[in-house]
Amino acid sequence: MTSNNNYSIDDLKKWDDKICKIAKDFGLDWYPINYEICDYYEMIGHMAYHGMPSHYNHWSYGKSFERTHFFYNSGQQGLPYELIINSDPSIAYLMLQNEFYLQVLIMAHCVGHSDFFKNNRCFKETDSKNVVSKMRNAKKRIQGYIENPLIGQDRVENFLDDLHAIRFQTQRYNIPRKTKSEILQSEIQRYNKLKDQGIELDYSKLEGTLLKPDHDILSFLLEYKSNWKTWQMDLIEIVRDESWYFMPQIKTKILNEGWASFWHYKILHELNLSEDYHVPFMKMHNAVVRPHIGGVNPYHLGFYIFQKLEREYGLEKCFEVRETHDDVAAIRLFLDEEDFRELNFFSHQKQKNGDVLISEVADHDDWKVVRSDLIKNTGINTIPQIYVDRIEKQGGLVLKHEHDGRDLEIQYAEHVVKHIKNLWQDEVKLYTILEDEIWEV
Amino acid sequence: MSIFKKHNTNADRSASDRRRHKEKIEKAIKEGIHDIVAEESIIGQSGKKKIKIPVRGIKEYQFVFGRNQGSKGVGSAQGQDIKKGQKIKDGQKQKAKGQGKKAGNEKGEEFYEVELTLDELAKYLFDDLNLPDLEKKSDASVLAEKIKRKGYRTKGIRARLSKKETLKNKIRRQKQAIKNKTWDPESGERFTFHEDDLKYKHIEIKHKPITNAVIFFIMDVSGSMGKQKKFLARSFFFLLYQFIRYRYEKIDIVFVAHTTEAKEVNEDDFFQRGSSGGTFISSGLDKSLEIINERYNPNSWNLYAFHGSDGENWAEDNEKAKTAMQKLIDICQLAGYIQIVPDGDKVYGKEMADVFQPLITDNFKVLKLGKKEDVWPQFSKLFGGKYDLK
Repeated sequence: MTSNNNYSIDDLKKWDDKICKIAKDFGLDWYPINYEICDYYEMIGHMAYHGMPSHYNHWSYGKSFERTHFFYNSGQQGLPYELIINSDPSIAYLMLQNEFYLQVLIMAHCVGHSDFFKNNRCFKETDSKNVVSKMRNAKKRIQGYIENPLIGQDRVENFLDDLHAIRFQTQRYNIPRKTKSEILQSEIQRYNKLKDQGIELDYSKLEGTLLKPDHDILSFLLEYKSNWKTWQMDLIEIVRDESWYFMPQIKTKILNEGWASFWHYKILHELNLSEDYHVPFMKMHNAVVRPHIGGVNPYHLGFYIFQKLEREYGLEKCFEVRETHDDVAAIRLFLDEEDFRELNFFSHQKQKNGDVLISEVADHDDWKVVRSDLIKNTGINTIPQIYVDRIEKQGGLVLKHEHDGRDLEIQYAEHVVKHIKNLWQDEVKLYTILEDEIWEV
Repeated sequence: MSIFKKHNTNADRSASDRRRHKEKIEKAIKEGIHDIVAEESIIGQSGKKKIKIPVRGIKEYQFVFGRNQGSKGVGSAQGQDIKKGQKIKDGQKQKAKGQGKKAGNEKGEEFYEVELTLDELAKYLFDDLNLPDLEKKSDASVLAEKIKRKGYRTKGIRARLSKKETLKNKIRRQKQAIKNKTWDPESGERFTFHEDDLKYKHIEIKHKPITNAVIFFIMDVSGSMGKQKKFLARSFFFLLYQFIRYRYEKIDIVFVAHTTEAKEVNEDDFFQRGSSGGTFISSGLDKSLEIINERYNPNSWNLYAFHGSDGENWAEDNEKAKTAMQKLIDICQLAGYIQIVPDGDKVYGKEMADVFQPLITDNFKVLKLGKKEDVWPQFSKLFGGKYDLK
């Protein structure tokens, strides 16, 4: 039975029905799922575009395809068994080559993901109803710019190169960014108040300058640079909106995978599988949630967290956490010294000579250090935070790096600054700290 | 209830992005190539030898963290004994290993270091360049058809399936899968052949002019030709050789070394051995003419002659040299004089470049090399390439 690939779509449907019924009884609430069955080659293709059924073209996605294809073919990397996107309905891809019991596991797993997308607070603004058609329209518009003889492939491509370099330098949290005019309004009000108290201020100082540091560089560019062509503004918005759309997934990788694993495990237990299916299923499950020695496996950590929550607080608490938390919050709130010891997490540090040494282990003295290092390596914290500090009188841009103990890779930063220069079309300076000294790029 | 759909399209969705990516790589290779043509390591390699060319410009840069003291990673070691201070990676042994990329958290590895054989390199280098006057020899237009086994392809007819290569691929993949723990040999699960394992023998029909060519490399090896000059000469001659070899089915090379007297020598002596004494440029040219007379009838051979020297000659020889060069020009497809004077050096007496200046025609060029960066532009100039010096 284990190596039987001869199943029909009806078989899948039959098991899907059972899975959906169990999931519903447990109280899961997910988007309808459309499964697409594809071969490994198409799977790599979908992966290159993050699973979006339609996505604008750029050479970097070709590179991503080649990369995955190369690593897959040389056996260095397996393909993910499942790929599901945050949309309503959710679209999930099933690989033709998967064995049947694996497809069943994946379908149960996908229900968990879709439930997470639909209910987790971070995803509230992702507009999952329209994201697929939005991306399709964006693709069409960009294709139009490429075919427009006044714009053309090179311009579009170079502009996208510039934007991709700062695609994640955008709004990180769910707090909405204050627009230029909102900031101006509140400043005027502040000035008015001061005026009432008899303090005269020069209102003209408020014009045409950056009043507050801006962490959303893409939105900043859109607002504060005035001579964009229409197609350029469109591209900036497309890239920024896509980042906004993916940001929640970056922030909840551990909980999302943990939740999906938690549920495929529960559902499959309820399915009363025959021995033939149960054994390979358990093997697969264990492979998915096993700890990666020397690394952090989000499936493993997430599964661990939800199991612990269920054990200590009950299933109700699990649902609450999937709704309100992201990875950083969950690590902070639910993992204690004992967990760190159990998981045997450690921090490691690269030395000047290239050696990597264990700097802290999760013992009584140091487990909090390990936890703070883990948090730094989680979700959005893996991306350095750069913000616009001010616009200089002559028009130059001053960026600053929010240094948290970790230096930037300077060679990369130099290139990114060049990209930002291309966009800003004027001087751009970046201040950071390099080996405890202030550094200007 | 979910919906199931079989994806039934042949559309290869990333095809156009891959093509664009490939174009970028090729462009990067072409741009990078000119920097490497004068590298000592590739000079004197055989055609099948693979060389690595780092390709620039297709990295995607984002802000990422470097690796200072404050920058730490975290890992799990569940079920293992670990100690503070334990070494988990040896900096000496650890050579950049491709790690899966994550949205901009860490510096990515240099992914594209393209491996090329010298033949492929020649293709990139020389496709824009042309040999002048290839049709001069009447039988040069006759094409020889040669069927050659040439490597393997992923698509092909069953009859040409290479079982050996196919199996090799599978084993390779299997080994990697074990190493990366994506497949467990103990599991009893079959490690199946994969469509991409299949390799087919490929044959290619080649058309090449049956003309034969001979290149004369003539060099002054007198005392004044130091190591650096010889290196420049070698780089230049190497390119010439590769280029002409790329265009012709069969090619002979004749090395002529001279001081005041000329000798036919082998390659090693040509480049390595130093002599002392004075210089008669004419001696090398005359020697070449003599060899042509004996072995290479200009009516059936395409002749190329290139003379490299540091521009110095004994004054009484200048006229003789000029006459001899003219004779060579008359029978050669292309002749050239390469004056090698490292930047900052001076030529004593009248420069040979100036002596030969009046002879310049379509098939005779005078070139000057001052540093290794000159090699490619000058070479390109010789064959009318589009490379312009900036």
